[in-house]
Amino acid sequence: MQNRDWLPPVADDFKTICKQITEGSADRASLARVLHTQLDVNQCTRLMKAVCSDAGASVIACGFAQVKLGIVSNSTQDLLVAPLFIAGLRRGVWLNICLADFDQAWQESQSVNSKLCQFGPDFILINQDYRGYPFANGGVSQAKSDVRSSLDFITQVADGFLANAGVPCIVQNLALPPANLLGNFDIRHHTALSATILAFNQQLAERLSDSPHYLLDVFSEAAHLGGTQWFDQRSWLSSRIALSEEGTLFYCERVAALVGAIKGKSRKCLVLDLDNTLWGGVIGDDGLYGIAIQPGTPRGEAHLRLQQLALELKQAGIILAVCSKNDEKNALEAFQVHPDMLLKETDIAVFVANWQDKPTNLQFIATTLNIGIDALVFVDDNPAEREIVRKMLPDVAVPEMGRDPSTYADILMRANYFESLSQTEDDLHRADQYRANAARSKLQNNATDMQEYLRSLEMVARVEPFLSSNIVRVTQLVNKTNQFNLTTKRYTQDQIERMAANVDMLTLSVRLADRFGDNGLVSVVICHKQPMQLEIDSWLMSCRVIKRDLEHWICDYLVEHAITSGINQIIARYLPTEKNVLVENLLPELGFCWDEQLQVWSLDTRHYQFHRPPISKLEAS
Amino acid sequence: MSERTEVLSALEDIFDDVFMDADVSFSDSLSSDDIEEWDSLAQIRLLTTIEKHFSIQFEIEQIDQLKSVSSLVDAILAKMA
Repeated sequence: MQNRDWLPPVADDFKTICKQITEGSADRASLARVLHTQLDVNQCTRLMKAVCSDAGASVIACGFAQVKLGIVSNSTQDLLVAPLFIAGLRRGVWLNICLADFDQAWQESQSVNSKLCQFGPDFILINQDYRGYPFANGGVSQAKSDVRSSLDFITQVADGFLANAGVPCIVQNLALPPANLLGNFDIRHHTALSATILAFNQQLAERLSDSPHYLLDVFSEAAHLGGTQWFDQRSWLSSRIALSEEGTLFYCERVAALVGAIKGKSRKCLVLDLDNTLWGGVIGDDGLYGIAIQPGTPRGEAHLRLQQLALELKQAGIILAVCSKNDEKNALEAFQVHPDMLLKETDIAVFVANWQDKPTNLQFIATTLNIGIDALVFVDDNPAEREIVRKMLPDVAVPEMGRDPSTYADILMRANYFESLSQTEDDLHRADQYRANAARSKLQNNATDMQEYLRSLEMVARVEPFLSSNIVRVTQLVNKTNQFNLTTKRYTQDQIERMAANVDMLTLSVRLADRFGDNGLVSVVICHKQPMQLEIDSWLMSCRVIKRDLEHWICDYLVEHAITSGINQIIARYLPTEKNVLVENLLPELGFCWDEQLQVWSLDTRHYQFHRPPISKLEAS
Repeated sequence: MSERTEVLSALEDIFDDVFMDADVSFSDSLSSDDIEEWDSLAQIRLLTTIEKHFSIQFEIEQIDQLKSVSSLVDAILAKMA
């Protein structure tokens, strides 16, 4: 049975394309065409071999985040490698995977000389299922103490890796075994396996919440597929392979989504088609009140469900956009006056209804929002539209939508494009901020010159060091900002916390508000303080506030800070990546000069010309 | 085409998927001794792929028994009968 229904079926010429990849004659677009399909384990293996071949890797490897992942497990992992690698590619991550020997979690974690610690990983995945804990085989009498000792075991393993490999772990909770022993009684009886597993899962989440480790929710993923399909007893008994093929493929998707999110690869914007997607029927033909959207009608309820999901995603910080072939007036009218529409005009950050091709319109949406094209998810019921977008814009995620609108919401959720590591206060307002941005760009068109426009925004900035109140957002920004990012250094929350406590470091988080709303925490600066100089380790800014002269304001702030501390020199580096061309000339524009001898950009605070952009400063309270 | 020939031809494709680079020519007389890659993990992958293709289910003791093309064909035909 095939449940990964957001992916289209495997293309007929799959093997031919694999061959072309191996020969180096395929490009990223043809890789995308085979990558985002329902590959099974054999096909994943074939594609992985092709992509990792010398010619394949040289054409394709660029643009992916490189991640070294070590795996320990109480089950055989060899069949997991190819599907995990492929799932990683789907999330923009090139995984270099190292497997520990069978059932070595404890030994591997406790020594700096172990195979995984020596591998130099970025993360360790502890893939331990319930059979790797004492309560799986224990008698009924000691289940409670088993939960505690099992939690102690797994946290010691995770903390061992943190100490000996210096990296956080991905720790997973447990799937329920596919059957109960005494039926309905099990869940009430704390010594039964299912009740024990539920207790373990709950306490594991609590233990991990204040740690640098990540929780992998295997429990819910297995429940979605169903325990009887998740596990494969025959493979377990013969080869200690824990999961069925289908279970393996789903498991890998979950792991890859988490790693992708850590690397800032989660999608940010949901772009929706209108006719037969957000509502049933064609508004241009059927008329405003002819569209199927009425509660109480099966077809209307199906489309409303997708609207409800979009609304919930928006509330969680996902930007909504519309891309429809329609007359704008007709399309907008539904959002403005139709009483059954859950989505209103104000929920949509960018509304594009015209007769241009959709790839052009999607590009326009990304540009207007100032986000990458790889941040978009495009939902359309029309297979021809999906096909052209996949072909022209291989970096846009395009879930397969069947003919039945009652499946749309579930398919979109199962595809898990919006994997999220944390929910900050800023996330909750993000969608509104992007919408306010669209309003600002309208104002910008009216303002006669840039300075007048910026003044009219009435901007207020506020600087704080890294504090417990902002560290989650700072970590998020550090790990997902690609464009305005001088050095693109990524740090874990644990590292950020250590910087905050380090007196030799200057850490700045900058918030910006204006008359359209609060943009939240939008820029982060990390500096090393030395007696005579300030060295900028990282400086990044959210794309939402680009072209607002905030970078000038921050530079002024840094220089003032340096002068007050008696420091004459600020040095900085620009490390080019594929995505940060935006800040290629930032340093010279701000007044930095290239120091040929030291090979760094350098700024003498004594000769600095303050920029003084129209942003007022709000003192930290 | 006899049923046996049809099963053999499907198996040839399956062998190509499971042992893609193995340097052997497929035939009725092939066994796990002839393919270096035909180890216990490949066996699981092979049987899973066959099961999916023919919509059948092998039993656990067959994992160790079905180590040649001819025994696989016999077992598949028996399951489909």
